[in-house]
Amino acid sequence: MGKTQIEATQPTSTQSSNFKTGAQAVMQSLVEQGVSTIFGYPGGAIMPTYDALFDYRDQLKHILVRHEQGAGHAAQGYARMLNKAGVCLVTSGPGATNLITPIADAMLDSTPLVCIVGQVKTNLLGTDAFQECDVIGMSMPITKWNYQIVDPNEIPEIIAKAFYIAETGRPGPVLIEITRSAQAEMMSIPFEYKKCDSIISYKPRLEPKEEHVEAAAKLINGAKRPYILAGHGVLIAQAENELKEFVEKTGIPVATTLLGMSAMDADHPLFVGWPGMHGNYGANVLTNSCDVLIAIGMRFDDRITGDLSTYAKQAKVVHIEVDPSEIDKNVKADAPVVGDAKAALKALLPLVKKADHSEWRVEFKKYDDEEYEKITKKDLYHEGNQIKMGEAIALLSDKTKGEAVVVTDVGQHQMITNRYYRFKKHNSIVTSGGAGTMGFALPASFGAKVAVPDREVVAVIGDGGFQMTLQELGTIAQSGLAVKIIILNNNFLGMVRQWQSMFFDNRYSFVELQNPDFITIAKGFGIDGHTVSDRNNLGESLDTLLNSNKPYLLEIICEKEENVFPMVPAGACVTKVMLE
Amino acid sequence: MLTTYTISVFTTNTIGLLNRITIIFTRRRLNIECLTVSETERKGVSRFTIVIRNENREIVEKLVRQIRKITDVLAVFGYLDDEIVFNEIALFKIATPLGSPALDVKTINLDWNAKVVHWGLDYVVVEKNGSEEEINEFYAYLKQWEILEYIKSGRVAVGKTEKGLVEYLPEGDWEIV
Repeated sequence: MGKTQIEATQPTSTQSSNFKTGAQAVMQSLVEQGVSTIFGYPGGAIMPTYDALFDYRDQLKHILVRHEQGAGHAAQGYARMLNKAGVCLVTSGPGATNLITPIADAMLDSTPLVCIVGQVKTNLLGTDAFQECDVIGMSMPITKWNYQIVDPNEIPEIIAKAFYIAETGRPGPVLIEITRSAQAEMMSIPFEYKKCDSIISYKPRLEPKEEHVEAAAKLINGAKRPYILAGHGVLIAQAENELKEFVEKTGIPVATTLLGMSAMDADHPLFVGWPGMHGNYGANVLTNSCDVLIAIGMRFDDRITGDLSTYAKQAKVVHIEVDPSEIDKNVKADAPVVGDAKAALKALLPLVKKADHSEWRVEFKKYDDEEYEKITKKDLYHEGNQIKMGEAIALLSDKTKGEAVVVTDVGQHQMITNRYYRFKKHNSIVTSGGAGTMGFALPASFGAKVAVPDREVVAVIGDGGFQMTLQELGTIAQSGLAVKIIILNNNFLGMVRQWQSMFFDNRYSFVELQNPDFITIAKGFGIDGHTVSDRNNLGESLDTLLNSNKPYLLEIICEKEENVFPMVPAGACVTKVMLE
Repeated sequence: MLTTYTISVFTTNTIGLLNRITIIFTRRRLNIECLTVSETERKGVSRFTIVIRNENREIVEKLVRQIRKITDVLAVFGYLDDEIVFNEIALFKIATPLGSPALDVKTINLDWNAKVVHWGLDYVVVEKNGSEEEINEFYAYLKQWEILEYIKSGRVAVGKTEKGLVEYLPEGDWEIV
């Protein structure tokens, strides 16, 4: 009898007991929140949680990355595909600081992340203990919310709050730091998890105010030359169908921002490309000719507006945006509509009049034709054997029928990919826009593939950016997921070289790379691949890449000193587009 | 022209929030003239009173919106001086060793509306409430004695409106302290 008693008091099945350690509470909270996948890397101060994870390994798929930055970007790719928070689990000190770049990236690109970070024992806080670092202080400016847990009883409530804050309103990264002692200690109250659905100090407005919608509709109905800029907010709100319905009724031409790409079918007659530094000619120039500019879920980034003092000054501005602090931040709105893009478009739809605007749309066509003659034609149909980045992406677009998820890194290849990939399917672009984080694409493409294993996921990366996070080839190989990786190799940090060539008198200051043999590296990780340098073999090479049912690396040797055009120089007026 | 703005921020009582709020000023290179954090008449609600000077009203409006965006912030108001009742408090430690000119307590009391709050052996501490200008004028007057230490608090302010704080807070059960 004594024996039974002893057995009964020992927590043999840690999961079923109502009294949990902090670490078990973390796991159970994640399960009850509906999390299925975690990207992480263990270490000292998070070990109790990893120990609890061992018991939860059937319910929570943990993916062991090779560097915490990889965990962050993979979680971003995952979050962007599923429109729900990606979860990272890392240790204190360097584990947490390695996550800083993805957190900053997620903040700028409105990506929901929940980062759970270990911390030294509570009694060691502030003593410069081993692997102690003020992560709460460091992450404050780049998180939507952060919180330090020293009491295990708080864990379920704080985790619930974290997901709510990360995923609602304008999504963003949230960081929770849990001391090692709070992970190890038993909760003194029974575990109970309740999803959070409201916070008194945080009330994101999703439904727009009626009078704002009416004012916006009035401006739109009176417009002769209206123009829509649709951004990431459309993808986040999953408002692609509403956008389509709205523009088809109103006949208004639409450009999408870099992060808003794939919100519209690229072949839709009302789609006019993208605005910004390397955006389309007409999409930029006509910003300064429209009479009503309708911005939907975008924030007038400086890479789009150029010189604000000359930007769309002639136009009345309708600004639909879920984050009220974006209204009037860069461009003054005549009709602000604070709300979620989907709710706002739904509310606007019955109020806007059917219109055609075909005469106005013809103007875009004129600029398109010139752009085609001066740039596109030369990129796609040139003489010689060397491969241009543009033709590689255009061919990729054809071969994937525009239906792949395309993940890009940062630089020339990123701009070229947005230029030549013809997106046919919604929510198909994952790129680092606001932060411009080199090294983003490889882990982000992996995270995207984890989220949507049935879709073709293609990472397009430059030779520079690839070397920033190439260790994640190990993660990809271990998972076996068929991520398709393209390196557009020009042996240069191409975008910087382009600027040095155009604005710094051709002084190439530290932009040429002595690259490794990328294929040997991939093979070292157990990933197959090959190099193509002759344009006659490009199609065949892409077929090999796309037909592989395993991860595959295709290195495309590109023309070395190709420049990306069109280009609006930084800080210039959007009508000052350079075509060559 | 430089205008003084008083920003009142109402927040839940959360560790680290001060840091989160001041980061917004730092990022925009705005100098905080003074800052006071205090409790309010509602349980769990803290109040930050921040004074800044700026030429551009728009910048202040953007700042207010950025602060409003912080998850733990309940309400934010930006005020001009004529929209609030405000005050500051200053303490002066004055040396009064044997042989020094006598302190004119009557003038300090009646003309300056200040008072001696502590008598030490060789010094006194004088307290003065008032606006920044009044305190500065009083400082000039006290200079005829040796000022050992001077300290002034940040501004405290309430809006000139009949409404109470709770009317600005999100709907909830705001228990009075």
